[in-house]
Amino acid sequence: MTSSTPGPTGPVAGADWHASADVLAGYATGTADAAVVWSVEAHLTSCGRCRSALSEHADAERLARNRRVLLVRAALPEGGRVRGLLCRCGVPDHLLRLLAATPSLRKSWLLSVAGVLAVVAGEAAAVRYGRIPAHRPAGLSAYQDTVVLAPFLLVAPLLVLAGVAAAFLPMFDPASQLAVAAPFSGVTLLLVRAVSALAAALVVVVAAAVVVPGPGWLPVALLLPSLALCAFALAAATLMEPHAAAVTAGALWALPVLLLAAAHLPLLIVQRNAQLACAAVFCASALVLLLRRDRFDMGWTR
Amino acid sequence: MTVNVRTAAVRADGLSRRYGATRALDEVDLTLDRGITGLLGPNGAGKTTLLSILATVNEPDAGRVSVFGLDPRNAGERVEIRRHLGYLPQELGYHRHFTVAGFLDYVAILKEITDRRRRAEEVARVLAAVSLERRARTRIRALSGGLRQRLGIAQALLGQPDLLILDEPTAGLDPEQRLRFRELLSELPGDPVIVLSTHQADDIAAICPTVVVLLQGRVRFGGTPSELTATAAGRVWAAAERDARAHLSWRGGDNRWRHIGDHPPPGAELVTPTVEDGYLLLSHAAGAR
Repeated sequence: MTSSTPGPTGPVAGADWHASADVLAGYATGTADAAVVWSVEAHLTSCGRCRSALSEHADAERLARNRRVLLVRAALPEGGRVRGLLCRCGVPDHLLRLLAATPSLRKSWLLSVAGVLAVVAGEAAAVRYGRIPAHRPAGLSAYQDTVVLAPFLLVAPLLVLAGVAAAFLPMFDPASQLAVAAPFSGVTLLLVRAVSALAAALVVVVAAAVVVPGPGWLPVALLLPSLALCAFALAAATLMEPHAAAVTAGALWALPVLLLAAAHLPLLIVQRNAQLACAAVFCASALVLLLRRDRFDMGWTR
Repeated sequence: MTVNVRTAAVRADGLSRRYGATRALDEVDLTLDRGITGLLGPNGAGKTTLLSILATVNEPDAGRVSVFGLDPRNAGERVEIRRHLGYLPQELGYHRHFTVAGFLDYVAILKEITDRRRRAEEVARVLAAVSLERRARTRIRALSGGLRQRLGIAQALLGQPDLLILDEPTAGLDPEQRLRFRELLSELPGDPVIVLSTHQADDIAAICPTVVVLLQGRVRFGGTPSELTATAAGRVWAAAERDARAHLSWRGGDNRWRHIGDHPPPGAELVTPTVEDGYLLLSHAAGAR
């Protein structure tokens, strides 16, 4: 028996009715109302004849297109827990997908940063706790507590800077020409990548600063210098070649750290006056970046 | 020399570009309409520089460009041009850890296709267009050169651009893939402006209604492939022996010498010229070879 519409209580498995051609056509094209759709779907699970009849109404091209879309979606990487968390916090999915092209957010990069910090922090701990004898000048009681930190103080902000530099230097983006020729805002792309790289590197640096044998405030004291260095590099990249900007920023950190280490006062680089200087550098860099942000829209830039 | 076509979709006036002491482009004037234009020239002729300028990636030292009436010197108009642009650079780098689908998804985001569903549809469409559907999950580092080139073509097609700039798109493609590529360009909807550079004169003859020959940074010819071919009429010969007076000569598959020149070799037979013959004669005249 064939019915033009499902029964009032909906189809039952093994029922003796079948959906009419009109109903199946409406279901296949998406024009049937919700009650009919529900009834037909329930009926199809148990009726091979209607399933066969439905295939005649299906738009083969549309099905093939949908299949291709599903395959593409299945082929896209999910991105893991961090991305899931950021998505739930409201960060747009497409911005997070852009981060996949940032080398300093890859596990291998972050593990390398952690490895370097583990070496310098471990060396500081070994010297501090007497596992490695230090050559200390007589009469300098504070020397033991501060100079062992010099390698860590030198390297930690430089690693943060390297992460940010890798996020914006064209040499680290093999498809940079495509980014230039695309309408997506160059400065947005830069900031998304740089801020993400900064955050990831700071997590590792702060974690290392907690275990290094230094003052308790050291993890917090490293934040502003790292931020200022990165902001300076980005601002300088609007005035000179990007790689030169990154090298200049690195040198501006390394030189005073080395000089203070030579004077046995390395911790001065993260103490009050240095923090004020870093704050000033950060503000000035942010202003330059704001005023000259169009320079990151590469291509016709003169 | 100006390529005159009915309406100017893309127009370049007096483009010049230097790299140090090398003059890559020397006052190039060009006017292109919708349809396919082939850019022919030897290595170092300035093709890549010209295409990168039209793609708003590079900037000329002098001259002006207009794309659909927009001026790339203006930041807003430059972004608008890029919204209508598909670009395949000559040496496209890839993030080798990306999958094929992941790379296209990334480029689609750069092209401001932010909706996930629409992005997936676009990626699926271009994958099908270049027959890479079955490679969607493959990492780029595992692709051969030809497959990567097809991936490069696919990313240029994202968003159905009105201006498609393809720098040597057939490099690395096997003969069957080249035929498929010609078919693909012929089937593109919306009648876009397509500019492609190539060394393959047969690609030009097969699919380009307009051909521009660029030599030593200057436009030496603009017209149809048959007009380019006609420049060699009466100057291509076939003979059993080599003739030293010929501009160019080589032994063909039939074991006879093909001569291009102004003087017929002894016992030579006049043969029908090809686009390549016309191009070679132009190159010779310009002293580019």
